[in-house]
Amino acid sequence: MVTMAIAKQTLEDMLRRKILLILLIVAVGMIALGPSVGFLSPRESSAVLRSLGLAVILIAGLLITILAGIQVIPTEIERRTIYTVLSKPVQRFEFVLGKFLGGLFTVFVMITAMGIVFLGVLYFQEGHKFAPEMMKGVVMTFFQMMLLGAMAIFFSTFATPVVNFFMSFSIFIVGNMSSVTESLTSNKNPATKVLATFLHYLLPNFGNFNIQNKLIHPEVKLTNENVFITQNIVYSLIYSAVLLILAILVFDRREV
Amino acid sequence: MGSSTRNMLKGIIAVLFVVIIFTQTQLDPQIREIHKGEKTAFQGLSNEFILGPMLGLQEAVAGALWVRADEFFHEGDYDAILPIVRMVTWLDPHQLDVYITGAWHLAYNFTDSNERSDRRYIPASQKLLEEGDANNTRVYDIAFELGWQNNDKIKDFDRSEFWFRTASTRKGSSKGGEPTEPAPLHVRHMLAHSMEKQGRIEAANEVWRSLLAETEPKLKASPNDFSLKSLHDSERHNLNLNLERMFSRYTHRINFDVEGKTTRSVNQVTGEPSPNTSFLSLDPAKDGAPVGQPRPAATAIPWKASFDTVRNGHTTILFPQPRVMDIKGIFNMGDGSRVSVKLHDDNYKESSSQSFTFDIDQSQTIMMDSLSVRGAQWARKIDMSKDPKMYSFSRPAYYLVLSFDPRTTAPFIQDRIGWSGEGMSNPKYEWIVKSNHPELGKKDNKIIRKVYRITREQIMGTKPVSEADVIPNDLYDKIQAEQTSPSTSAAKPAGE
Repeated sequence: MVTMAIAKQTLEDMLRRKILLILLIVAVGMIALGPSVGFLSPRESSAVLRSLGLAVILIAGLLITILAGIQVIPTEIERRTIYTVLSKPVQRFEFVLGKFLGGLFTVFVMITAMGIVFLGVLYFQEGHKFAPEMMKGVVMTFFQMMLLGAMAIFFSTFATPVVNFFMSFSIFIVGNMSSVTESLTSNKNPATKVLATFLHYLLPNFGNFNIQNKLIHPEVKLTNENVFITQNIVYSLIYSAVLLILAILVFDRREV
Repeated sequence: MGSSTRNMLKGIIAVLFVVIIFTQTQLDPQIREIHKGEKTAFQGLSNEFILGPMLGLQEAVAGALWVRADEFFHEGDYDAILPIVRMVTWLDPHQLDVYITGAWHLAYNFTDSNERSDRRYIPASQKLLEEGDANNTRVYDIAFELGWQNNDKIKDFDRSEFWFRTASTRKGSSKGGEPTEPAPLHVRHMLAHSMEKQGRIEAANEVWRSLLAETEPKLKASPNDFSLKSLHDSERHNLNLNLERMFSRYTHRINFDVEGKTTRSVNQVTGEPSPNTSFLSLDPAKDGAPVGQPRPAATAIPWKASFDTVRNGHTTILFPQPRVMDIKGIFNMGDGSRVSVKLHDDNYKESSSQSFTFDIDQSQTIMMDSLSVRGAQWARKIDMSKDPKMYSFSRPAYYLVLSFDPRTTAPFIQDRIGWSGEGMSNPKYEWIVKSNHPELGKKDNKIIRKVYRITREQIMGTKPVSEADVIPNDLYDKIQAEQTSPSTSAAKPAGE
C-alpha cells in the first residue's frame, strides 16, 4: 500500500517534468513524420517506416528511463524530502520499490502513447490495416526499459546522477552487443573466452530484446516467437528483481 | 534490516542468477536465428550512424543509410552507393532490394565512356547476390535476380536455369509481407525462357503447359483479373510460338490461327500445303501434342555463313591510335544478327573470391561489345584510350575473340539456322560447343568463332594485326579451360 502510494506520487511528479514531456512530444512528432522519410526508398518504405518508428520509441524510451531512473532517489536526498518520508512508518525497501514502480509507470505511459501513435501512422500508411504484430516490438521495448530502469535505480542508491547516467548508458551499450559477446564465448583465446562468458551471462543482455529484425522482415525465421517473447519477459522480470534486491541491500546500509 | 534477512536476500539473488543464466542459454540460439547473416559493421560507419547499432538499432540505421543511398542514386553518384550497400547488408541482411540494387549497379552501371560494362565487376555482383540469397533462403527474390543476371548479362543459361528453378521453389510475399505465397508465375516464365535459350524447346514447352494448366482455371474463376489474363496470354502465345517455330522452321511457315484448333504448315515457296503436312493440336484434350507427320528439318543443306575479317587479302582489324580498335567484318546471317567482340588479357581469370568484395584486380583488361550486322557487314571503332582504369593493357599478350552464337541471336535469325546452329555452316570458323547435359535434351551448339592472339604492341598500333595471329578454336578453348575460375562453377548445373 505504502509502496503504491510512493509510486503514484512519483508518477505524478514525473509527469510534471517538462523535459520528459518534451521528449515525448519530439518522439511522437518524429514517428508522425516517419512516412516522409519512408517514401524516399519506395520499395523498402514499409521496412524503413517500421524500423524508424521502433527506433524512435526505443531512443525516447531509453532517455526517459535513464532520466527518470537516475534522479528519483538522489533528488529526494538532495531536497531532503527523504527525511520526511522515512520518518514515517515507511520501510526503506518500500521506498525503493515505490520509486522504481513510479518510474516504471512513467515509462509505461510514455511508451504506450508513442506505441499508439506508431500504430496509427502504420494504419494510415499501410492501407488502413492494423499491424498488431508491431505491438510485440513496443512490448519488448517496455521490458527492456524496465530492466534498464531497475539498473538505474540500483546505481542511484550509491552513485551521483552524472555517474549513474554514464554507467547505465555504458552497460546498455555493452548489453546490446550480446551477439558479439555470445560469439566470443567460443573464442580460442582462454582470457577472451572467460571475459566474454562473464559479460554475456552476468551483465544484463539488452540485445535479447531486439526483435525488430523479425518484425520488419516477416521472412526472417524464428522457431517460436511467443516462447522467445515470454522468455525475454521472464528474463527482464527476474533480472529486475535481482537489481532491486541489490538496490534494497545497498540503500538499507546507506547513510541519508 | 537484520543480517538474517540480508543473507536470505543474497541467497535469493544467487538463485535468481542461476535462473537468469539458464534463461540466457535458452535465448541464445533464438537470437542467433533472428540475427543470422548480420555483422557488426561499426568499422566504416560514419559518426552519425555508429551509435544506432550500439543501441541495437541495426535495422533503423540500415534504413536510414539506404535512404541516403537513394539520394546518391538520384544524383547519379553510383560510386558512393556501393559502400552503403555493403554497410546496409551487414547491418540488415534481409533488405532484399539493397542486394538487388547493389548487384545491378555493379553489373550494369560501371561502364566505360561508351556505355560498355566493366565485366570485371560481374563476379562481385554475383557474389553479392549469392550472399543475399544465402541470408534469405525462404524467398524467391534474390534467386530470381541471379537467374536474370545470368540470363540477360552473362548469357550463362545453365546457371540462369538453375537460379530460376531455385526461385520457383521459394515463396513470394503475401500482402502482409509474410513469405507464404508461391513464387509469382513470371519466375517460371523466365525458367522456360532460359530453357529456350539452351535450345531445350520441348522442356520449355512442358513448363509453358504446366503454367497454362494453372492459370486457365484461375482465369475462369477471376475473368476480370487483367494481370492474370496478361500472364495467361503470354503463356499461350509463347507456347504457340514455340510449337510454330518447331514445325515451320527453315523452309516453311505456318498458317497460324490462335483461336483455331490446328495449325497447318504451308510451303513457303509455293504457298501450297506441305506434302508432309503436320498439325499441332491446340485442343486441350490433346495437350497441344503434334499430330500428323512433322517434316524433316531443312538442315540437310545448311546455310553457308560467310564470316570473316579479311578484305582483299588484308585483315580489317586496325589500331590507328593506341588502344583504339577499328574493326570491320562480313557476315551474311541477315540484318539484325550480332557479332560479339571480346578482347581480354591472355591470362584473364574471373575473380575467384569466395565472398563478396568490391576490390577487383585493376590491372586486368576485358572489353566486350556486340556489333550489329547491316547489309551483311559489321564495323565499329572501339575507343579504349579514354578509360585507362578499365583498359590498362598491362599484359604483353591478349586474345581478341569474334563470335556468333545462335543461342543468343534474334528469333528471326534463329528461324533460319536453328536454335543451336544446326542449319548453319562455316568450315573455317565453326566450332561445336559440346552439350554438358545431353540427357536433358540439350544439344551441341554450333557457334562461329575466330580468335586472334595479339600483343600489346599491336594494341598500341606499332605493329599490324594479320591472319598470322589467328589461333585454332581448340587451342583457345584449352587455354580458357585451364583458367576457368572456381566462381563460375559455383552454381549447380541445370537439372541437378
